[in-house]
Amino acid sequence: MKTKFRTIFDRLFTGVSAFSAVLLTAILLIVLGPMIIKGSTAVFFRGTVEFRKLQRDEFNRGNNTELEKEIEPAEKTRRFVYEIIDSFKRGVDPQSLTDQVRQLNRQYGQELRSKGITGDDYRDLREAARQIRDKLEETFNSADKDLINENIGFVLELKKDERFKGTAVEEMFTIADDFGRAIEEIDLQKREKYAQSLAEVEDILFGSEQMPGLLGPKPGDKLPQTIRLRYGATRWDVAKKLLNDLLYPVQWVEIENGKPLVPQRHSRAEEFEGTRLEPLFAYIENELPEMLKPKLTFYWQYFVDKSIDSHYFGGVGPEILGTILLTITAMIFVIPLGVISAAFLVECSANNLIIKIIRMCINTLAGVPSIVFGLFGLAFFVLYFLPAFGAGPKGSILAASLTLAVLTLPLMIRASEEAIRSVPQTYKEASLALGAGSFKTFVKVTLPAALPGILTGIILSLSRVAGETAPVLFTGAVAMGTLPRSILDPTMTLSYGSYNIATGDNIGMQVPHKQFGMIVTLVLLILLLNAAAILLRSRISKKLKGMR
Amino acid sequence: MTEEENEMQTDSLEQGTRKSKVRPVIRMTEKTRSAKKLAEGCDCAIVKSENFGFYYGSQVGVKNITMDIFPCSVTAIIGPSGCGKSTFLRSINRINDLIPHTHIEGKLLVNGHNVYDKNTSLVNLRQQIGMVFQKPNPFPKSIFDNVAYGPRLQGVKNRSLLQQTVEESLRSAALWDEVKDDLKKSALALSGGQQQRLCIARALATKPNVLLMDEPCSALDPIATGKIEDLIDQLQKDYTIVIVTHNMQQAARVSERTAFFCLGELIEYDTTVKIFRNPGKKQTEDYVTGRFG
Repeated sequence: MKTKFRTIFDRLFTGVSAFSAVLLTAILLIVLGPMIIKGSTAVFFRGTVEFRKLQRDEFNRGNNTELEKEIEPAEKTRRFVYEIIDSFKRGVDPQSLTDQVRQLNRQYGQELRSKGITGDDYRDLREAARQIRDKLEETFNSADKDLINENIGFVLELKKDERFKGTAVEEMFTIADDFGRAIEEIDLQKREKYAQSLAEVEDILFGSEQMPGLLGPKPGDKLPQTIRLRYGATRWDVAKKLLNDLLYPVQWVEIENGKPLVPQRHSRAEEFEGTRLEPLFAYIENELPEMLKPKLTFYWQYFVDKSIDSHYFGGVGPEILGTILLTITAMIFVIPLGVISAAFLVECSANNLIIKIIRMCINTLAGVPSIVFGLFGLAFFVLYFLPAFGAGPKGSILAASLTLAVLTLPLMIRASEEAIRSVPQTYKEASLALGAGSFKTFVKVTLPAALPGILTGIILSLSRVAGETAPVLFTGAVAMGTLPRSILDPTMTLSYGSYNIATGDNIGMQVPHKQFGMIVTLVLLILLLNAAAILLRSRISKKLKGMR
Repeated sequence: MTEEENEMQTDSLEQGTRKSKVRPVIRMTEKTRSAKKLAEGCDCAIVKSENFGFYYGSQVGVKNITMDIFPCSVTAIIGPSGCGKSTFLRSINRINDLIPHTHIEGKLLVNGHNVYDKNTSLVNLRQQIGMVFQKPNPFPKSIFDNVAYGPRLQGVKNRSLLQQTVEESLRSAALWDEVKDDLKKSALALSGGQQQRLCIARALATKPNVLLMDEPCSALDPIATGKIEDLIDQLQKDYTIVIVTHNMQQAARVSERTAFFCLGELIEYDTTVKIFRNPGKKQTEDYVTGRFG
């Protein structure tokens, strides 16, 4: 009976442990899986012709003639979009037409003066042009179809006047003519609504202040200052999202009185039903692949490129470099200090009150939140310690890595202490019995034998150092800038970079793949560093066990 | 020396464990024995203990030990567990210093020099006195590095000199033939007996006068034990060996003089033959005959 129970308990124990192992693996997969999949889209994606343009302009990459060959048909397909929007805009946007006409009128005045026409002729012609301008302005802002037709008829009558041929006034006639035809299809009551929706369409297609558009700025327009606005959708997934917004805009509707508004999508094409803009949407939907030419892209340069326009484009090269630099510099401080302190705690000291207090302090330090270390680093290393040696009171790699070193030192000391303590006493005795001093014994026997355990400490510290954000926040990390030239310059890091993308800008919303990419890069980097350390550790412990 | 003589000598000592037929123990001739007897007379003890006592805090390790250990001989220390035999042995090269809160009394002289003198150089002392421990404890290094550890500490850097020392030591420890092809191999890949002989070779490499052995065979099987015992017999020509052992047959087989410790005190110290055949004290007799209670 008793044995039966024992077997059941044994099986239960085995089952529970197997289950927890499976659970852990599943949790790991659930956490890391989606992140890695999303992060990989920073490197693997369908890049459009805009992406290749960007690569050419910013990194001098790719074959220019081939790219031109690609751009040309794309531009040809896009031309229809530009034309149809321009012509539709004439009907609904009185303000821009008014501005245009006023500009032409001023131009005409200059033309006349440069031709040397003076006196009565000049006065007559100016008067006529002004009259045309006024009539047109009235027309553009009117909602009365009869008035519009009358005014346009009046203006077009003047077209017969030979004197206006080849001048700026002739363009005014063209505008009037176009407007007349554009207005025929438009329900004038809806003009304002059209204008509003058209502005949205234009923003989505050509980019607004905040967001790059689907196709990029219209050819002939002034190039925007912000680099991200100079290009259309560089990625096919972004393009598809924009297309959806274009075709089916979101509207917040009140379904029930007093209830919160609910987003609903409706068809944009229906909004423009009956106008000449209506076919545009079907055209864009069908021809978008032709306009953007998506191609499967492996953007491995993501890991070496610098970021462009605060991580909107480009890669994380400087961040990787900065993280590695920071980690190495911190480890240069942590490893010797940690090992020496641990050696002192184990070997050289009697177990008295002071040592107990020191050990307690170390244990407490290991549990202090990292932001506290960050502020300490700012107050001590950045503002006091380094300036004492002539460095400016600014964040630097040195200050940041010193802060990180202080942060992980307790961890390192504890791991090394355990490792040194676990070296068999007989090794020490053997060495001492051969006439070695305690220092020689430590260096030649204890340290090599403790190396696997110390390496475990190094692995833990390494991961901590590479991934910490808070300590470097104030002490040496920047979001953007040039590559550090010396150890006294601040640097970009992966951890701070992803923090910054998430909080500093709304870039995290616009280019989530960049953020995931950065996080995955960080995870991969730490994994890589760890893999190297673990490999080294297994080699050493194999050697220590006499297996090699 | 013939096989017969050999057997006759060991017969009375080794009651029950008659393995000597299978592996004859090499013994000194009567001639060298008498030569040693002479040496004993002229008071040239290499280790001299005068009322020596060693205390762990207030607890007695050993006390009132007065005994002379003579050069080029094997001295065995026997006694029940906790009787202080290891403590005494480990006091000779001061390896007990690792333990905090200890103190000593009396004198312990090695080559006429007080070991516990303030001016004693521990490094020199320990190079004079080699030690072999209970469990084989080679360093996790190669065989060569293990043996060369002592000479390197002494500052020998010359590769060929090191090689020579290593070979000599390994030959002395009767291990050379087994490992000569693979000195780069990790010491931990050797068998237990080989490891213990390697430790002996390591101790010999510093060219000590005295070799302390703290139950060197307790972790070994009988065959390996036999090899170590043979080795001890060979080594006593050149080294003074002090061996602590639980195995009374072993003490009888290898040693020339035997000390019996009990409860931290030296009960009896005499030639092995006398201790085992005709002990002077009741306590010793009880222990040696197995009636100790």
